[in-house]
Formats: sequence, C-alpha cells, structure tokens
Amino acid sequence: MDDLTKEFIAESQEGLDRMERCLTELETRPGDSDLVGEIFRSVHTIKGTTGFLGFDRLEKLAHAGEHLLGSLRDGKLAVTSGLINGLLRLLDGLRAILTLIEDTGSEGLRSGDEDGALIAELAALNGAAALAVAGSASNASVMAIQQTVASPAPVVMGPAGGLSDKTLRIDVEVLNRMMNLVGELVLTRNQMLQSGVEATNFPELARRLDSVTADLRETVMQARMQPVGNLFGKFPRMVRDLAQTCGRNVRIEFSGQETGLDKSLLEAIKDPLTHAVRNAVDHGIESPAVRVMAGKPAEGCVRLRAFHQSGSVVIEVADDGAGIGIERVLAKAVERGLVTAEQAAGMSEREALQLIFLPGFSTAAAVTTVSGRGVGMDVVRANVEKVGGSVEVESKVGVGTTLRLRVPLTLAIVPALVVRSGGQSFALPQSALVELVYVPKRDEEKAVERMGTAELYRLRERLLPVVWLDRLLGLETGDAEEAHGFYMAVLEAEGCRYGLVVDDLLAPEEIVVKPLSAGLREIGLFSGATVLGSGMLALILDVGATAARAGVKPVEDEPEVEALGEKIEESEISLLVFEDRARERTALPLDVVERIESVPLEQIEYAGGRALLQYRGELLPLSDDGDVLAELEQEHGEDISVTVLICGTKGAEGVQRRGMIVRRVLDVSGGTLIDKDAEEGEMELALVKEKLTMIHREFSVKAAPAWKEVA
Amino acid sequence: MRIVGHDEVEIQDENDAVSLCSMFAGDESFGIDTKKIREVLGKRDLQRVPMAPVYIGGVVPYRGEVLTTVNFRALLGKGELAEVNCVLVLEDEESGERFGLVVDAVGGVVTVSRKMLEANPCTLEARAKWLFDGAYKMQTGLMVQLDPQKLRPSRLAETGLFKERANGERACER
Repeated sequence: MDDLTKEFIAESQEGLDRMERCLTELETRPGDSDLVGEIFRSVHTIKGTTGFLGFDRLEKLAHAGEHLLGSLRDGKLAVTSGLINGLLRLLDGLRAILTLIEDTGSEGLRSGDEDGALIAELAALNGAAALAVAGSASNASVMAIQQTVASPAPVVMGPAGGLSDKTLRIDVEVLNRMMNLVGELVLTRNQMLQSGVEATNFPELARRLDSVTADLRETVMQARMQPVGNLFGKFPRMVRDLAQTCGRNVRIEFSGQETGLDKSLLEAIKDPLTHAVRNAVDHGIESPAVRVMAGKPAEGCVRLRAFHQSGSVVIEVADDGAGIGIERVLAKAVERGLVTAEQAAGMSEREALQLIFLPGFSTAAAVTTVSGRGVGMDVVRANVEKVGGSVEVESKVGVGTTLRLRVPLTLAIVPALVVRSGGQSFALPQSALVELVYVPKRDEEKAVERMGTAELYRLRERLLPVVWLDRLLGLETGDAEEAHGFYMAVLEAEGCRYGLVVDDLLAPEEIVVKPLSAGLREIGLFSGATVLGSGMLALILDVGATAARAGVKPVEDEPEVEALGEKIEESEISLLVFEDRARERTALPLDVVERIESVPLEQIEYAGGRALLQYRGELLPLSDDGDVLAELEQEHGEDISVTVLICGTKGAEGVQRRGMIVRRVLDVSGGTLIDKDAEEGEMELALVKEKLTMIHREFSVKAAPAWKEVA
Repeated sequence: MRIVGHDEVEIQDENDAVSLCSMFAGDESFGIDTKKIREVLGKRDLQRVPMAPVYIGGVVPYRGEVLTTVNFRALLGKGELAEVNCVLVLEDEESGERFGLVVDAVGGVVTVSRKMLEANPCTLEARAKWLFDGAYKMQTGLMVQLDPQKLRPSRLAETGLFKERANGERACER
C-alpha cells in the first residue's frame, strides 16, 4: 500500500470518528447546522479523495451519502431517528470499505460487497422528504430496505484497529523540541568526549547531560501522551446503539477528556473500559418504566470521568442505575462455592462487592439477569492489572454503581525496588509492593514457622506464605556466616499476597523497562530487564507469575478484602501509626515515611542541644516529641536501639529528610479524617481502626499533594 | 575487510576468499564469517538469568536493548570458565534476531579460501553436527566454521538437543 493511501485511510478514519460523534450529538440537537456542516465535510472529503485515488465503490457510496447530507444541509430534510440510523449505516459502510482497503489493499468487488441496498436506502431517505408526495408507500419501502440492510451491513464498532494504532499525530512543536534536545545531547556528548573525565568542567557537563536527558524524556513522554477523549469518542455511538437494543433511555456525559495517557496504555484499557460502559448500560441502568417507578428521571445517565490522582490516571464509569444487590451477590457466591455461607454472613457490603471480581463469579450470566454486574469483571480486572493498574467498585442499591480504573501514567518507566538475592539484582515493581519486613539474624530461627513443608511468617497476627527467592530460582544461597538476617518484601499481585525473602534491599529506582528476547520470556518469571544506575542489568520480577510458580494461590480472605475496600473511600488515607508520647497514637501519611530504622542509641549525636543522626552521608535532625531518648537513656544506658522514622519532604532543592524518634511502630492502615483540632495547629485528628489518632501535619502540607486534596 | 591475521594463506581468486573471525573455546578454534558479526564487545559482565536453559550465558545491555547471549562453552558441553569471556554480537538477517555469543577469546580476522573447507565428518555426534559447519584446514590445525543461524537462541530451543544441563553441572558464574 502506498503512502498516499495509508495517509488517506488514517485521515478518513479520523473524519469518520468525528462524524460519528457529530451524528450522536445531532440526534440530541437536531437544529444544529454546524454539526450537519461538519458531517457533510467528512463525507465530502472522503468522496473527493477516493475519486482521486480510484476507489470507485467507496466513491459511489460516499456520493450517495453526500447527496443526502446535501439535502439535509439545505434544510430540505428534517432530522429523524430514521435518518440518523441511515447515516450511521452509511458510516459503517464507509468504515467497512476502509478496513477492507487497509487489510487487502483493494476495496473488493465481489457481488456480496455491493452497497446497492445501502445506496438505495439513502436515496429513499432523500427522496422520501424531497418528494413528499411519495407518502406512505415510500416510507414503507424505506422500512423494508432498512430491514434488509440491517443484517448484511457489516458493523464495525469504534475506530478500526490496525493502521490507526500504529500511527500517531504529533504536534510539530513537540517534534521540534525533541530535535533540539537531541542536538543538545549530541553537543554535550562531543564536549564530554573531548574533555575527558579529569577535566575541571566535567561535573558541569554531567549535570547538563542529566538535565538534557530529563527534558528529552519528558518531551518523548509528552509525545506519547494522548488525550483520553480519543478513547471516549466512540462511546456515544456504542451507548446509543446498545440503549436502543436493550430498550433503555441513556445519556452519556464526559469530563476530563483532555487528561493525557500513554498511547500504549490507552490501547490496553480500551477493552476493559468498553466492557465497563456496556455493563453500565446493559445491566446498570434500568428500563425507563422501572426508573419512573423508582422516582428517577426516565433517562439514565452514564458518566465517564478521567482525572489525575497521585501519579496515576483514574477513569471512572458511573451510572445512576439500580446498583448491585448485595444479597444477590452473596447468594450467588455461596451457590458457586466461592465463599461459605458463614463467611458470607459475616461480610460487610464492601467485602461482598469485591466478590464480583472473582473468576468463578462471572462465568454464569444468571447473575446479570437478576442483579446487575458480573460479566467478565475478572477479565476487566486482569487486563487493568496487567498494565499495573487496579479496579475498584462502589455501589449503592437504587442509586448507582461506580467503577474506577486506576492506571499508571506510563508503562515504559516504572518505580521499582531493587533487591539482591543469591548475588544477583532483581527489580520489584513498587505497585506490587505492600510493605517491607526486616528479620534480624537473632530472630531468624523463630520468625519463619513451618506447617508441613510450607513456611509461614506471622505478620501482625496473620499468617503469610513465605517464598525464598534464591531457592525458587535455584540460585546459590548466600554465605551463612556473612548473613545479617534477611528482608522480606510483602507483595500483592492478582489477589495473591506473600512474603518474598531476599538477601538485601538496594535503592528504590525509577527503572526503564526493556523487553527480553522471546526465549527468555518463556521462562515466565521475568517481565523484562533494566539497566541500573551502576550499569549492571537487573531482571524485573513478574510478581504474579512468581506467586504462581511458588504455588501461592489467590486468597480473598476477610482482612484483605477489608484492606481493598478501605482504599475506596476518598476521605481515607494510608497512615503509619506509631506511638511517641506514652498512651497517645500518632500517625504520619505513609508516603512521607521513607524508611523505618532501628538505630543504636550510641549512634545518636548531639550538637547545639539538638539530636542528630548520620544517615547515608546525610546529617538528619531528629525530633523527639515523646522524650523517648531521655527515657531510654535513663532506663537502659547506651546499649539499646531506638526506632527512627526517616521522613522525606520533596522541596524545591531536592528531598529534605529528617528523623522522628518514636516509641514503637504500631500499624499501617487507612484512616478517616475528622475535624481539625483548633488548639493544635499542626495536628489533625483521625479515626484509624476506630481509635483516635493524631496526625502530624508538618510534612504533609508540603510533601504530599495527594494528601492535601484529601484534607 | 582483508586484514590478514596470523594464518596467512595464499589466495588465488577473489571470489574464493572468505574472511573469518577466529575465536576460541577451550583449546579448539572456531571461525565465523565476518559479514555476520555486528560487533565484538569484548569482556562483559553477564547478568545470569535464573531458570534459563544452560546454554544461555545471560543478558548484557547493548545499545539500549537487552541482548540475550549464548554460551558457546556450555553448548560444547564444557564447564564454564569464570572471569575470561568475550561477547560477540551476531544478527540473523532473515528473522532480525540479534543475540550475543560468549566465547573464551577472539583471535583476529583470517582470510581463507573456500576450497579449504571440509564438510562435517560422519562420525560427529548429533549436537556437534548441529553446531559445526565443516572445518578449514589451516596450517596450525583445524578451524571449525560456525553458522550463526544455527546458534540463535530460539533455534537452539527448537532443536531440543541442548535441553539437559551439561553433566549435571550448574552454570554459575558470578
């Protein structure tokens, strides 16, 4: 296929997408002449170019459409639902031919491909209005034709895949900026090569290289970003068609179309999102009669909302339908043997809602006929999780259901924790990391308990399956003499939660994901590789596959469901709860705390009456609200350790760190904020697990924008 | 490219000449057509891939990609030699597959006459028959010709000849 044709197809598909949007809008605003003009132009452009390229079949169909649209534009025709249907079929017809050209290079001239019926229908629509005399007879013929056309006309849903997925429109500005930066990069390289490492200006050059790379990365990312609106664009038509077949009355609303998302991610969430919207119309929204009975407007509404939240993009599909009936869900889950009747009885509403994501739940369509959602929700969740996202659901019976897809901004660069095991480095995606546990050497023996061959760790009175990474991968185990205990990364993926034992933790790093060759992908444990700052390669562990290999099964046990549920409510935030003053519970937003260190008392130094700690080449000021230091010194002398929270605040000039001495760390959990305590300026009160807890606000104001939104 | 290495040979006909890059694994010498070699990287730190077939030497970063390497010693069934290695980058033109080959050392470029090539002897065992592509009779001994096509990791996996770990020996080089 030559370039001209390729360009024509890409352009025409965009034109048709635009036409589709306008058509659905036209139905709600029949008098809008601008819309008609826009539609006319799309078809006209296609007709003009096809004639030039020699696609006769396409030209003929476009010509018929243009003729009809011409009458519409001149006001000879009124917008009726029959007309819109006809035009939509024209759209489908054009799209089908375009797809055919894209696939085969020609428009196909077999007899089955002929558009005679469709052209006749368009002509009849045109004629019916132009010659009002024709009256009922021609109307009848239109109906007849519509019926014959309906089945053979190939229905292509949404923008056709293929070419449009491979091409991308980029602002020339962005491209120019990219080129400039590449030029800058080349210049910097030249200078570096000429000056050598010993040169006095080397640090400066390195800095410049750093900033150029950062800029370039950002610009390339920007070029890859596509507005979510591109994806939303195809929904009005889908909702319209679906609403007609299901006998619903549905309106669709958008917000945040301009929110940018990486192109590859946009592709990845296309299907889950389509599924969610279809579910909302099909099962969420009730038929008009039922709605009126329930005191709601006959017209249902599906709202699509996209927005940024703490480094990821959230896409919400909300309907004002019947909601999900919890009793039905529970009954079904018990019937399917997913939970026992006792378990079901003890479940909260939120826990029960999570059940719809279980694989076994979706196979039967029976659920959907009685209560609502459930078809393939596990597939939706799996697809979104594949790209590092998550799915949440919220529902109120009689009010509606909200499905939230949360996806990272980009796939190529992910935050990860680099760990070492058996002398090799591995990267664990942060998205799967729940928490880190350090087991010192003296506790090593009793920390891991055995049940048969299974090894378990007691994490806050819950048993966690333990997987030894070095044993699983058949690596050499480290020297026992050298060992200083071990670290356990608590990971969660695809519903599995387990502790992965590694020898050492290295720095958290933003890693660039590189694909592995096909042969190595077959091993199935690694999702890619990355080059670390040290220049060495590290394999990226596929957390889900590792769990499967180690035999960890997804468990949807109660506390976990609760934990998932807690994330849903917006007013809730993750907090690290600790005790500093005796008998008082204090908490910090979890994202402020970088590490929890156990520091021997003798390592804490004093200068000018302030406690300081030398920590990784930095001098950290320590705050000690509960006078823990003085107390411990009195009681135990110097040979005891204190717990220090290393907190980091991102300021203008990099990360500001400080330490906070606490009596003991209690828990990590979600909490609900209650009113500001007027007396204490920097404190706020919250309810964490039904207990009153103070929240340190000193960091959070500057540190965590996400937290600010919440507060 | 006609750099004459340590094995100088008289070439009568231009069309008859082949440039080979000589390399060593153990005490044997091997040759690969220079046209099929993209780059000689020299000694690299290889990142081992756990659970991979034994002939996978590990991965190395190469021009923004992650290059899978084949350990030639492991293919021959010889134990791995730690520390000393040399990575060559080969590319298969047909499939576009790019991979690395780990050998002990790379010699130089040798120009030889096609006439000096002898086919594989019939007594060769199956694995070697797959790997070797005849041998050149050099003054210093035989130089076995290798076909990069057949060394591709995906082809090696397909043949199934190299599945078991050589002599139960574990590939551990760090």
